[in-house]
Amino acid sequence: MSKSTSLLRKLLLLDVLQGLLITLKYYFSRKVTIQYPEKIQESPERFKGLIRLYRSEAGEPLCIACLACQRACPTDCFDIEGERREGTKRLWPKRFDWKLDRCTSCGLCVEVCPVDAIRHSDIFRQTTLTRGPLLFHHDEMYITGEELQKYLCAGCLP
Amino acid sequence: MRAETWIFEFLIPVAKIIAVILYPMIMVIVMIWLERRVVAWIQGRVGPNRVGFQGLLQPIADALKLFFKEDIIPKEADAFLFNISPPLVMFSSLLAFCFVPLGESFRVGGYTLNLWVADSPVGLLLVLGLSAIGVFGIIFGGWASNSKYPLMGALRSVVQVLSYEIPIGLTVLTVVFFSGSIDLIEIVNHQQHGRVWFGFMLPVSFVVFWISGIAETNRAPFDLPEAESELVAGYHTEYSGLKFAYFYIAEYTHMVLVSSLVVILFFGGWLPPFPNVRFLSFLGWIPGFVWYLIKIMFFLYVYVWIRATLPRYRFDALIKLAWKWLVPLSLANLFVVVALKYLL
Repeated sequence: MSKSTSLLRKLLLLDVLQGLLITLKYYFSRKVTIQYPEKIQESPERFKGLIRLYRSEAGEPLCIACLACQRACPTDCFDIEGERREGTKRLWPKRFDWKLDRCTSCGLCVEVCPVDAIRHSDIFRQTTLTRGPLLFHHDEMYITGEELQKYLCAGCLP
Repeated sequence: MRAETWIFEFLIPVAKIIAVILYPMIMVIVMIWLERRVVAWIQGRVGPNRVGFQGLLQPIADALKLFFKEDIIPKEADAFLFNISPPLVMFSSLLAFCFVPLGESFRVGGYTLNLWVADSPVGLLLVLGLSAIGVFGIIFGGWASNSKYPLMGALRSVVQVLSYEIPIGLTVLTVVFFSGSIDLIEIVNHQQHGRVWFGFMLPVSFVVFWISGIAETNRAPFDLPEAESELVAGYHTEYSGLKFAYFYIAEYTHMVLVSSLVVILFFGGWLPPFPNVRFLSFLGWIPGFVWYLIKIMFFLYVYVWIRATLPRYRFDALIKLAWKWLVPLSLANLFVVVALKYLL
């Protein structure tokens, strides 16, 4: 661009007007905000939410109480005890206490689990009004979704 | 005392006094909301939309929050100056509204209701002077805080406002030259009766005045006195609670004032547009102050729009713009306007 045209552009504020037009275009653009409590963004596939225990298709606990997660946990979240049952060759979890207030969501327990019983869920809302619900016992480790939200956040959801 | 005199001598003046404080406050509320929403929309966000209808009560919620905040005075600060500067800033911009007319006067029965508090023959001068007094509040606040960032912010603000007063004065001169009066009401009336508004007659004056007006109110892209990336919050860094709210409100009041001035000086105040076009004559039926508000809101919108578009100036570039471009340009503009007026 020659010097005179650049001077003319400056004097007529053309660059400023060009910028204003661009922002005007964005003014009418689609907004990227997701209005959180009403709409919740879908979690990515490998999202590391709260860890949950899962059952087999037959409805039995997958966990074999091998204590691998307990040993792997850097913050000592787990208190697990296994028991033998008549006629089965595996261990069954008798006690499975998991403390959410110590968990850092590092995912080491998930990696180390030999039977894929413990996995990340897509749940990320983990607020409570007291510390009580932050301790999960064995049967509470299976609840997910809205039910878990009710369990955790007593005042938030209707 | 008769009821009529009681109404005319007491009630209406009191109502005007309340209105002249309430009107800028309401405009400030709308402006804060407008700014946050428009900037958010331009950035692809939604902005505050929870408190009240579409977030309109958000500024009130903010003010309530500030009301309950602790009032902190720095240890080594000059308490008197520190306390007096927020009211000083507020006072200067609020007092200026006394001289800003809100619309044409209309008759109710046998009484003429003027939509202004004080009709001064030197209104323009007073408004410009009062808006310049606000700088003292900024200097005092920055100096009395006894802290480095406020001091730097105050120094920058002084240099900036003093530099940009000159192009403002020179461009206002062209308008005054054409209207032959520095009475704001006279200036508006002069644009009536099929005359072209000064903004279209003197486009250079308008643009220079608008740029200088943005700089005068310390707004982006000229918001160096409160450049948050360099100076935390500039001259009001050490202020908290309601004193901070005073600075905040005063800044927005000042913006409303500059927009009002632009509308009055360059865009016909409360006059409806297109008075000569026959089929658009119904526009004249809309009351004057509605037109006035629409025009002011447009310029407030442009304020926000510019803020969302342009990045902040470097300080030397800012001063260079004032002294190397705007002052010579407005001087040349004044000269050309005067020459044309006498030659034609």
